[in-house]
Amino acid sequence: MNESRSPTRLIVPVLVLLMVFAALPAVLASFDRGYFYQIANLSLIFVLLAASLHLVTGVAGLLHLGHAAFYGVGAYTAALLATKAGLGFTFTLPLSGLVAALIAFLVALPTMRLVSIYFAVATLAIGQMLYLVMLNWVDFTKGPNGIIVTKGLNLFGFDLSGRLGTYYTVAAVVTLCVIAIGRLSHSYYGNALRSIREDDQCADAMGVRTVRLKMEVFTLSAFFAGVAGSLWAHMTGYISPGDFKFSESILILAMIVVGGLGSLPGAIIGALLLILLPEGLRGMGDFRNVMVGVVMFLSILFLPRGLLGEVSALKLVRQQLNAAWRRTDNGIGIGWR
Amino acid sequence: MTTHLLDIDQATRRFGGVLAVDSVSSHVDEGELVGLIGPNGAGKTTLFNLISGFTPLSAGTVRFRGRTINGMRPNQVARLGLGRTFQNLRVFPNMSVFDNVSVGAVGTLPQGPFGALFARDGRAKDISDRTWHALELAGLTGVADELAANLSYGRRKYLEIARALAMQPKFLILDEPAAGLNDTETRDLAAFIRRLHAGGLTIMLVEHDMNLVMGICQRVIVLASGRKIADAPPDEVRRMPAVLEAYLGTDEGEMGA
Amino acid sequence: MDFIDPYYLQQLAIGLSLGMTYALMAIGFTLIFGVLNVVNFAHGEIYTLGAFAGLVLITAAAPPIFAAIFAALAIGAFAGFSLERLAFKPFRRFTDEASLKSRAMRESTLLSSLAVSIIVREGLEIVFGSQMRSVPFEYLINTPVRVGPVILVTGDFIIFAVSAVMLIGLQYLLRRTRVGLSIRAVSNNPLGAKYVGIDTDRTIIMTFVVGSMMGAAAGILVGLYYGAIFPAMGFVPGIKAFVAMVMGGLSSIPGAVISALILGVAESMATTFVSSGWSDMVAYGFLILTLIFFPSGLFGAGRERV
Repeated sequence: MNESRSPTRLIVPVLVLLMVFAALPAVLASFDRGYFYQIANLSLIFVLLAASLHLVTGVAGLLHLGHAAFYGVGAYTAALLATKAGLGFTFTLPLSGLVAALIAFLVALPTMRLVSIYFAVATLAIGQMLYLVMLNWVDFTKGPNGIIVTKGLNLFGFDLSGRLGTYYTVAAVVTLCVIAIGRLSHSYYGNALRSIREDDQCADAMGVRTVRLKMEVFTLSAFFAGVAGSLWAHMTGYISPGDFKFSESILILAMIVVGGLGSLPGAIIGALLLILLPEGLRGMGDFRNVMVGVVMFLSILFLPRGLLGEVSALKLVRQQLNAAWRRTDNGIGIGWR
Repeated sequence: MTTHLLDIDQATRRFGGVLAVDSVSSHVDEGELVGLIGPNGAGKTTLFNLISGFTPLSAGTVRFRGRTINGMRPNQVARLGLGRTFQNLRVFPNMSVFDNVSVGAVGTLPQGPFGALFARDGRAKDISDRTWHALELAGLTGVADELAANLSYGRRKYLEIARALAMQPKFLILDEPAAGLNDTETRDLAAFIRRLHAGGLTIMLVEHDMNLVMGICQRVIVLASGRKIADAPPDEVRRMPAVLEAYLGTDEGEMGA
Repeated sequence: MDFIDPYYLQQLAIGLSLGMTYALMAIGFTLIFGVLNVVNFAHGEIYTLGAFAGLVLITAAAPPIFAAIFAALAIGAFAGFSLERLAFKPFRRFTDEASLKSRAMRESTLLSSLAVSIIVREGLEIVFGSQMRSVPFEYLINTPVRVGPVILVTGDFIIFAVSAVMLIGLQYLLRRTRVGLSIRAVSNNPLGAKYVGIDTDRTIIMTFVVGSMMGAAAGILVGLYYGAIFPAMGFVPGIKAFVAMVMGGLSSIPGAVISALILGVAESMATTFVSSGWSDMVAYGFLILTLIFFPSGLFGAGRERV
C-alpha cells in the first residue's frame, strides 16, 4: 500500500473533516437532543482510540490486545487528579497521556522482545492485570463503584463544559491527535515501522533499531489512548472499570480490522462504523455486541485487507498522487550525482 | 599494515553437536570483490549470518572496520556499514518499491518520531535522495510506486540489492543473488555487480553459479563442511584438488537454488 | 499427627480440582496448537457451551448426572467441529507448509476465532441472559466428604475421576489408534504427513473435536462444582488454560497438565492471603514470568514453534 509522505495530502481531508465537525452542532441543534452530542463525542473518542491502535497494530504490526486498559489508565489518572488533587482538564489531559505512556513503557521493557503471538498474549495479560487493579484496589480507585468527575472540560480557565464546548474541545483534541498520528504514519519513520510489520528480522538487517522502535510506537499509542481516557472522564463525568475491560480492547481491534489494517482512514471509518451502526440499530438492543463479532468475522473472511484495502480505485488514486508528489519533490528529476 | 575491512578470526558456530562453521579465518580488504562458494551445507549462509550479526559466534572473532562485532545486533552491524541480501529473497511485500528501498535509507539515517512530526531538519530530503539514488542504480525508478509483491522475481532481486544500497554500505554481501535467474539475467546481474564494484563498493557474494563467481570475483573462498579449504584467485581455486573433491568431482556445477 | 493445618490441605485439594479442570482445557489448547500452530481463542466459549449444554439437559429432563456430562461432551464435539470449519478452515487457503504455519494465517485465525468467541458469548447472553444460572441442588457435586482431617467434596472426586478417565482415554487415542497416530504425525510435520497419505483436514477436525470435548467437560464439571453457570464463564479459564500450555512448553501435554495443576494450587493458596478478586492475578503473573524468563517453558520442552 502506498503511503504519501507529503503533509499537503492530509490538509484536504482534514479541512473537510473540520468543516463537518463544525457543521455538526448546527445539524444536531435542530434535533435538540443531547443524546446526539453524546454519540458524537463517543465516536470521536473511539476514532482516537482506533487511530492510536492503528499505529501500533496496523503500521508496526504489533498485535495489541490490551489497548483499552491504557485508555483506562488515562481515564483514571484524569479522574483521580481531578477529584483528589483538584486539577483541571488543562493538566489532566497531558498527564493522562504521560502516565499511560509511562506504564506502557514499563510494560514494554520486559516484553518487547517476545515474538508476535506471545507479545499479543502478554498484552492481553497486562490489560487484564490493569483491569484487575482498577476493579480491586478499592482504596485507590474505588473499585467497581467508579469515580464521579464533576469537573467538566476547562481549558486554561475557559469553561467549556457546556454541550457545545465539550463537543468542540473533544473534536479539536481528537483532530490534532489524528493529524499527529497521520504524520507519524505517513513518514519515513512510518516506513521503518511498516518494515517491522513486514519482516522484522530483515528490517533489523537494514539498520532499523527494531526493539527500540517497537517500544517507541507502543508507548506513543498508549499516550494517545491516555489522552482519550481523559477526554472520556471529563466528558461523561463517570468512569468505572467496566469501560476498560477486554471486550473494549477487542472492539477497538475490530474497528481497525474492519477498516483495513495499515490504513488510517480505514481506522477512522471502522471506528465510526462500529459506534454508529449499533446506535442506528438501537432497536436491536443486545444484538450490538453480537454484531461486533459478526462484522469482525465477515471482514476477516471476505475483506482480509479491510474496507479501504479493497477499494482499488482509492488505491490507484493514491498511487497517482504519490507519484506526482515525488516527481516534484526531487525538483531536478532523477539524474543527479 | 592496513586493517582489513572485514577480519574473520577462527569464526565458529555450533548448533548443538553440529559445527556449521569451523574455525574459519579470512579477511576482505576495501575494494575487493570476493566470492564464497562451497557445496550445499558447507556453511556459507551461516558464515554470512555470523558476519552480519544474525547468529552469535560460538567461538572466534569477527572484526568489521576495526570493531569487534561479536554480540552485536544486526542493526548495529548494519549501521557500521554492512549491507546484505537474503538467499530466500525477503522484500517487504505490502510496501511499494520506493518504500522498500527507503527502509534501507531510514535504517542508517534514522528519523525518529519527533523528526517525523516536526520535520525541521533536512533528514527527509536526505533519505529521499538516497532512496532515489539506489533506485536509479538498480534501474527501478520506473516501478517506484509498484507494490513489491507485484514485481517479477528478477526485479525483486534488484529491489533487495537497491534496498541494501540505500544504506550506503561500505561492504555489501549478496547471498545467492543469481539463484533462479536464467543465463541472460545472470549476465546482466554480473554486469550490475561489476558496475557497483567499479564504483568503489567492496562486495562479497555467495553463489552456486560457478561461471558468475569465477567470472567476476578477484578472489574466491571455498568452504566445505564448515571449514575453509581454499582462499585464492579463481584460476588457482578451480584447479585445486581439494576443491574438486569437495564438489564430488565436478568443477563447474549448477547446484541450483 | 497434625503438623499440617488441615485448612491448607483442603486448599490443596481444591486447588488440585481446579487444576484438573484447567488441565482438561489446556490439553485442548495444546492439541490444537500442536497440529495447527494457532491459538484457539474460542476455546473458552466451548467450555461455556459445555456447561450450558449440561444445564439445559438438567432443567429439561432431569436425567442422571452423567447424562449431563455426556451432553456436554456431545455439544463440545459438535462445537469443535463447527468452530474448525467456520473459523479455521477458510484461512487454510493453500497447501504448502509455508502458509500453513505463516504468521498471516496465524493472526487471521486468532482474529477469526476471537470474533467467533464474541458471537458465541454474546449470543448466549441474549438467549440465557448475562446473570448466573444456578444449578438445581440435587446436581451440585459439592456434598462434603470427610477424608481424615480434611473435608473434601464429592466434586473433587468426580472431577478427578472424570479427568483421569479422559486423560487415559486421550493417551490411548494418541498412542494406540490410527487417528492418534495421524494427530501426532500432523503435529510433527504437516507436509510430510500429507505426503504419506494422511488426510490432514480430517486429522485437524478430529483434533478440534477431541480438544473441544475435553474443554466442554471441564465446563460442565466446574459448573456443577461451583453451582453457577453464566455466559462469560469461559473467558478467564480459557486464558488460564493458555497459560498452562505456555508454561508447559507449548507442545507438551504432560507439561500442560502439570502446569495446570501448579496453577490451580497456586491460585487456591493465593486466596488465603488476598481476596478472591485478585486470584486471577496469579495466572497472569505466571504467564508474564514464563514468557519472559522461561522461553522454553518451565520444563524446557522448547518453544521455537513460532
